[in-house]
Amino acid sequence: MEDPMAAIRETFFQECEEQLAELESGLIAMENGSAEVETVNAVFRAVHSMKGGAGIFSLDALVRFAHVFETALDKVRSGTLVATPAVLSVFLRAADVLADLVRAARENGKVDEARTSAMVAEFDQINEIAGGVGPAPQSSAAAGGVFEEDPAPDSVARSCWEINYTPRAELYAKANETAILLRELRRLGEIEVRLDTSLLPELSEMDPEGSYLSWHIKLKADCNEADIRHVFEFVEDDCALSITPPDEPQGLIPGTVITGDNGFKFEFFPPPEMEEPEAEPVAQAVPATAPQPQVIQPSMVKSQAVEAIAAKAESAAAAPVTIRVDLDRVDRMIDLVGELVINEAMLSQRVLEAGITRASGVAMALEELEHLTREIQDSVMAIRAQPVRSVFQRMPRLVREVAAQTGKQVRLIMEGENTEVDKTVIERIADPLTHMIRNAIDHGLESTETRIESGKPVEGTVKLTALHRSGRIVLEVSDDGGGINRARVKQKAVENGVIAPDAQLTDDEIDNLIFLPGFSTAAKVSDISGRGVGMDVVRQSVAALGGRISISSRPGQGSIFTLSLPLTLAVLDGMVVSARGHTLIIPLGAIVETLKPRAADVFPLDRDLNVLALRGGYVPMVDVAASLGYCDQFIEPEQSVALLVEGEGGVRAVLLVDAIHGQRQVVIKSLEANYRAVPGIAAATVMGDGRVALILDVDAVVRNARSETGGRTPEALILAEAP
Amino acid sequence: MSNALELPSILDLVAAPTLHEAFINRRGEALAVDAGGVQRLGAQCLQVLLAARAAWVADGHTLQLENPSEEFFTTLELLGAAPEDLTHDAKYDGKEIAA
Repeated sequence: MEDPMAAIRETFFQECEEQLAELESGLIAMENGSAEVETVNAVFRAVHSMKGGAGIFSLDALVRFAHVFETALDKVRSGTLVATPAVLSVFLRAADVLADLVRAARENGKVDEARTSAMVAEFDQINEIAGGVGPAPQSSAAAGGVFEEDPAPDSVARSCWEINYTPRAELYAKANETAILLRELRRLGEIEVRLDTSLLPELSEMDPEGSYLSWHIKLKADCNEADIRHVFEFVEDDCALSITPPDEPQGLIPGTVITGDNGFKFEFFPPPEMEEPEAEPVAQAVPATAPQPQVIQPSMVKSQAVEAIAAKAESAAAAPVTIRVDLDRVDRMIDLVGELVINEAMLSQRVLEAGITRASGVAMALEELEHLTREIQDSVMAIRAQPVRSVFQRMPRLVREVAAQTGKQVRLIMEGENTEVDKTVIERIADPLTHMIRNAIDHGLESTETRIESGKPVEGTVKLTALHRSGRIVLEVSDDGGGINRARVKQKAVENGVIAPDAQLTDDEIDNLIFLPGFSTAAKVSDISGRGVGMDVVRQSVAALGGRISISSRPGQGSIFTLSLPLTLAVLDGMVVSARGHTLIIPLGAIVETLKPRAADVFPLDRDLNVLALRGGYVPMVDVAASLGYCDQFIEPEQSVALLVEGEGGVRAVLLVDAIHGQRQVVIKSLEANYRAVPGIAAATVMGDGRVALILDVDAVVRNARSETGGRTPEALILAEAP
Repeated sequence: MSNALELPSILDLVAAPTLHEAFINRRGEALAVDAGGVQRLGAQCLQVLLAARAAWVADGHTLQLENPSEEFFTTLELLGAAPEDLTHDAKYDGKEIAA
């Protein structure tokens, strides 16, 4: 049986991912000045929630760091610390450390303790910064209290926690006992207990099984909040509990989790006007001079509870309601809908074969079924569709790290984070995008000195954009660097034997050389972009997704890498063609146009190689049946139908087939998973007549045509040999 | 001579209603509560004892705590109360307790 705690733990980590994303986007909004008051609260809440959850699972390292982080964020909320760029830089890096701590906790991995400690030390410095640029304190005493606190993380210092605890009758009815809880607390450290009997009724009116007592406890202990919560772990739902950390103002503090009388749990986040203007000086929280703990009157709790619950309800109304569904279930449904589409197509075919006219009731009902099936298919696909934000949100951190490694100042601009694409595609674009961004910073952007010399802003800009175009998702990575150094690229290509020294290449052709295996123009191999294994791997992984990558570069102004990918890997819009009696599907995205070749436009170049004259240019012709090994005899071009296709890098070829049967959306079935990989074939599908049709791998066929030209690019060949 | 009430050894949730009833039945006269045999004290019995003390104060009768066991004493202290909180107008350990 599955461990229920493991499932809860997993949910916690999933929520952590969301909170980390919220934290990062909030901090970035604060950095670009687009933050609102609520953004700061959201950032605080994200860290606070992670801390709370981590406490339940005793993830102490995470709890400790989150507490230190949260404390600084709270100072920003309360206005005692100004979020200057320097402070935000610390926060952003702290978010990275927090993400690492979450990952380490999730995978039971190792934590880089030195990095965490260094980060904690930076938080200490922030406190000093706060003293310099914070708003003028109301009084010197208050200033001293805020800025002269113990620099050590207060969560582990021996300090005085305030705990307010009011059990409900249910707590006792479930055989729990306050005395035992207090005994457990005493094991953590020294306790000072104050009993509140103010709600005790007259003897004759009391219910002996009711609950009328409250306790206010001061705990002096080397512990964190999680340790205290651990004591109340099993009774939290049956009591009102507030835990005030030693450095917080007393009473109801932001983030206090309160279990209300009605059993609702809520966290208290006051609106700005309710917030304490200044934190209580820590020195005053020491018991010797401590003021009496503020007793939370039930009426006070209630009014704040109502406000907090109302605020939550309001935000809940605005936010879309979501459920978590196991991905396997969605995939199973997608598979079934795929089968439904195939089945519906087969049924249509049978109806057609039975000679039923299109005007008949059966045919019309079938048409409705077809529309409905398509709609179901689209809706199911939409379930898998996710905003690219999940990938984009990793990039700011990457940029920070690469910028630090290269010593460059980089600003990342992201657009179109809400653009949706299939989850599988999202998972597989992360690596190519990561590499492209690294590349843009490491190789694209010039060094700071060069930028100053060229009169450019010191801070380089890398822009990441996502948008939908023609049923595909287009991702662009652009930089405002020096552009591709074509002379160096060409020289390198000659040195590596990729091109002949006297080869005449267009600018585009030179730019595309960087996608060749083992090609690197960096004068020295760097740790960041690797050893020139980058862009060809990017191209391969993009091609494996049915995508294309292209580059456009302007000297001195920068480069733009454009990725064009299908929105889903489950269905494909294809052209149904036949070649020597075999039905094939050619992906619609690759087809530029269809044409009927004239004998006069065909020029034989080699034994089996023809080129077609097309609007002043020449394009190699590929007999699809022959290239797949269906026959040895080549088709007469003028007896065939031609499709002009564009492969990766914009390389074009003309595919010759016997006939075109029309466009169709097909359900992709993996050939590798069900049979084995076949060169020239990307996947398979099942047609309406129940037969399997193969989906052509256009890039592979075009590449194959290239290799037949002796390793030279078709363009180069045409330039050299065309009449 | 005042009435006596001997507390049971286990003063938990189950014992609270009986204890409550015992105090209700003894109202209107001085009472000596013997805590010598108490091995466990729970918060719900403590609140009955506290309410009883308030009732005896209101009635103007003496309420005395006798011979509290070590366990009773330490749990009382742990819960933030003291023997004085359970007595009225009576001596405790030879010391005069103010109301």
